[in-house]
Amino acid sequence: MTFALELAEISKSFDGVPALNQARLRVHPGEVHALLGENGAGKSSLMNVAAGLYAPDAGSISIGGESVSLSGPADARRHGVGMVHQHFKLVKPFSIAENILLANRQPRYRAGIQDIRKAIATQAEELGFDIDPERRVEALTVAEQQQVEIVKVLIGGVKILILDEPSAVLTDAEAERLLQTVRRLAQAGTAVVLVTHKLNEVRRHADAVTIMRGGKTVATLDPKQASAAELTELTVGKTASLPARSNSTVQGETRLNVGALHYTRADGRVMLQDASFFVRAGEIYGIAGVSGNGQAELAELLIGAREPTAGEIWLEGAGNVGVAATGTRRDAALAAIPADRYAYALAGGLSIADNFAVANIRSGRYGSGLYVDRAAMRRDAQAAVRDHDVLGVRSINQKAALLSGGNAQKLVIAREFSREPSVVVAHSPSRGLDVRASAAVHERLLAARERGAGVVLISEDLDEILNLSDRIGVMTRGRIVAEFDRPADRQAIGRAMVDHA
Amino acid sequence: MSKAEDIAPPAAALPAVAAGYRFGRITLDIRQDIPPWKQAAILTASLAVGLILSVAILDFAGIDPASLANELTTAMNAGSLRNVLIQAAPLVLVGVGASLAFRIGFWNLGIEGQMVLGGIFAAGVSIYEIGPASSRLFVMGLAAALGGLLWSLLAAFLKLRFRVNEIIATLLLNYVAIYFLFHLLYGAWQDAKTAFPQSSEFRPFERLGDIGFGINGGLVVALVVLLAAAWFVHMSRVGFYMRFISANPTMAKVLGVPVRTMTIWIVGASGACCGIAGFVNVASQEGRLTQSFASGYVFSGVLIAFLSRNDPLVIAVVGFLIAVLFIVGQSLQVFYQIPFTMVQLIEAIIVIAVASSEFFIRHRIRWIR
Repeated sequence: MTFALELAEISKSFDGVPALNQARLRVHPGEVHALLGENGAGKSSLMNVAAGLYAPDAGSISIGGESVSLSGPADARRHGVGMVHQHFKLVKPFSIAENILLANRQPRYRAGIQDIRKAIATQAEELGFDIDPERRVEALTVAEQQQVEIVKVLIGGVKILILDEPSAVLTDAEAERLLQTVRRLAQAGTAVVLVTHKLNEVRRHADAVTIMRGGKTVATLDPKQASAAELTELTVGKTASLPARSNSTVQGETRLNVGALHYTRADGRVMLQDASFFVRAGEIYGIAGVSGNGQAELAELLIGAREPTAGEIWLEGAGNVGVAATGTRRDAALAAIPADRYAYALAGGLSIADNFAVANIRSGRYGSGLYVDRAAMRRDAQAAVRDHDVLGVRSINQKAALLSGGNAQKLVIAREFSREPSVVVAHSPSRGLDVRASAAVHERLLAARERGAGVVLISEDLDEILNLSDRIGVMTRGRIVAEFDRPADRQAIGRAMVDHA
Repeated sequence: MSKAEDIAPPAAALPAVAAGYRFGRITLDIRQDIPPWKQAAILTASLAVGLILSVAILDFAGIDPASLANELTTAMNAGSLRNVLIQAAPLVLVGVGASLAFRIGFWNLGIEGQMVLGGIFAAGVSIYEIGPASSRLFVMGLAAALGGLLWSLLAAFLKLRFRVNEIIATLLLNYVAIYFLFHLLYGAWQDAKTAFPQSSEFRPFERLGDIGFGINGGLVVALVVLLAAAWFVHMSRVGFYMRFISANPTMAKVLGVPVRTMTIWIVGASGACCGIAGFVNVASQEGRLTQSFASGYVFSGVLIAFLSRNDPLVIAVVGFLIAVLFIVGQSLQVFYQIPFTMVQLIEAIIVIAVASSEFFIRHRIRWIR
């Protein structure tokens, strides 16, 4: 039978470094085909080849049984291949309708945008998305941006839909809904490639799975037949264990107190109102909630990317830092692990060494204000890259933007934990990370707690919150509406999340 | 998992268009890292291409390479070299000024206005005889720096307080400054003796003259500023932070960099450098405040900063070369009747050549068999 998409013996290297080595993939029409692998296994590279973004060095691509040579993403779309990237390709200052128009060009703007609006409404309703085509993309949450990307691709009329880590930015419920949408699309005849590193997704939703490791496709099998242990072993080589969590809690004095925090967005929407909670030394305070209820804004206020409209952020040793210069937070040893690494934690255009060293320069570690000791910076960065197992680093002088998502996060964590933090603010710290990398992140957070730091963990992944937190606050419409002590009842938290929504 | 296998696909945070498009059997890769010598080699090659094109164009315009070489050697003899160095001082200063602001992503196109204010402040010190004769020149320089600083801070204020785009603000403030200069030169400060629209001549101790070996005082000022800027940019903590302000201001803020305060001071420093350039021009070349002592420096300043990639040490070299080009251009205009636009054309060719080298530095071109 003919395959919807067939990639044969694809090889590709970047600047002399092989990323894909004779990788192959065959996807039937109407099937959900998972592509499983760790961060940096080559999943995204292989899919970028299929979507026409990369020209392979060797190998062939067939679409619907016909051998093709793709000249670029537009050419791939003409052949019916659409990809939703992990890092969204949207023009932020444009409205949703304009973004979709850009990808699906119409002969006339005026008539075209009308048609696009109608198409968005139809498509969004079909998928169960709530999309206002006139909103600007920069005002959307990540989850909403993803919905826009999916609608954008579907409006183009795809036969092969590639989703790169689609559930990484979604809550349990949202992911579940998305995967059901995906199933419906497959039933209608679309071939879906689901790039993921989540085993349960693969086992529950995929018809077939191809596993990648180190740029090679190691196996293709039926996920319903294979055991979880089997899949894990194929993916990582060896099974990663879950971090142990000691229950001997020695909670000390209050480290962070957030009082009546308000934040109103530039467009007038109130994102936080009267949010209050406190975190003690030696505990992890988890903040759960459906995304878009003010968690992103809360994280940005805590790390100092924005100033609150009203209210207090009291930090042990620094006082109210809400509107103070962000340097005072750093001096009080606040560690920030934001969800959007490239927006708030890394300067992609600068070197790994610079990105690592910038956090500790205030402490005087790299010399006084008059002299910066670059050699010491490079030494420390080199050591940190080694200790934290940041992969894909050929030289610490290479740009941070060239690191893959998981490795970029490792770099951020290496930096933020390079000195003993007093308070840690982590927002979706394991987003986009594979099993092993997210276990390492969780271990770090638990270790900080053991050593007496106060940890705020904001996450839309309820399992992550439940596994790690000592106390859990549920956030709805910009407010902490309920608090639970460990061990918390998953059902009760779920109810608190939706009751007020 | 071996290291090589784990190299990330560069698509993640980079625009899709740059990643591996295919032209026939050629592919482009984004380089992950490039050794400095290779970077220098690419730059040199591009520069060579630009120069060869320039020589060819001048050949068409009737100046054969031999006479061009002759003109160049003439520019290097003692007398001309003195002119070149006088010309180089303000060029280096505006180059440094522009580069400081550009380093934090503040597009200061108000070089001319800041020079004018510098010139006016310096002339004011001379006219109102502020300070004793022995330190008059120093006070003039200081006043000029202050004038340029204040003029640039006006644009910084508009940007930070009202979000006025600094490109527009600085560019238009040039006109305000120039017309204020005309107001003074056609009014209160007009030379009473000649009735020309220029100030009366500065006293001898108010002028930057030769300090020996044919080196002008202005050049010394420029070199001091240049070295200070080089240390500031390459060695100091603020210089390190500056890279983050242009690369990702939000991230810089989160990591405790005082973005706002630094922006204000660095824009101020940029303006101060341009103000000093104004002082150097009025106190050395002109010896008085004239109508046109600052004209054309916006383009030159931006050009020098760009060609030197905002590196003060490179500015010393580029500033000198542009000064040579100016002086040679002047004599070509006189002896070969070529228009001044020809000099600008050559400048432009060199800029384009250097700009395109960036492409080869960022990408590697490969054949696939």
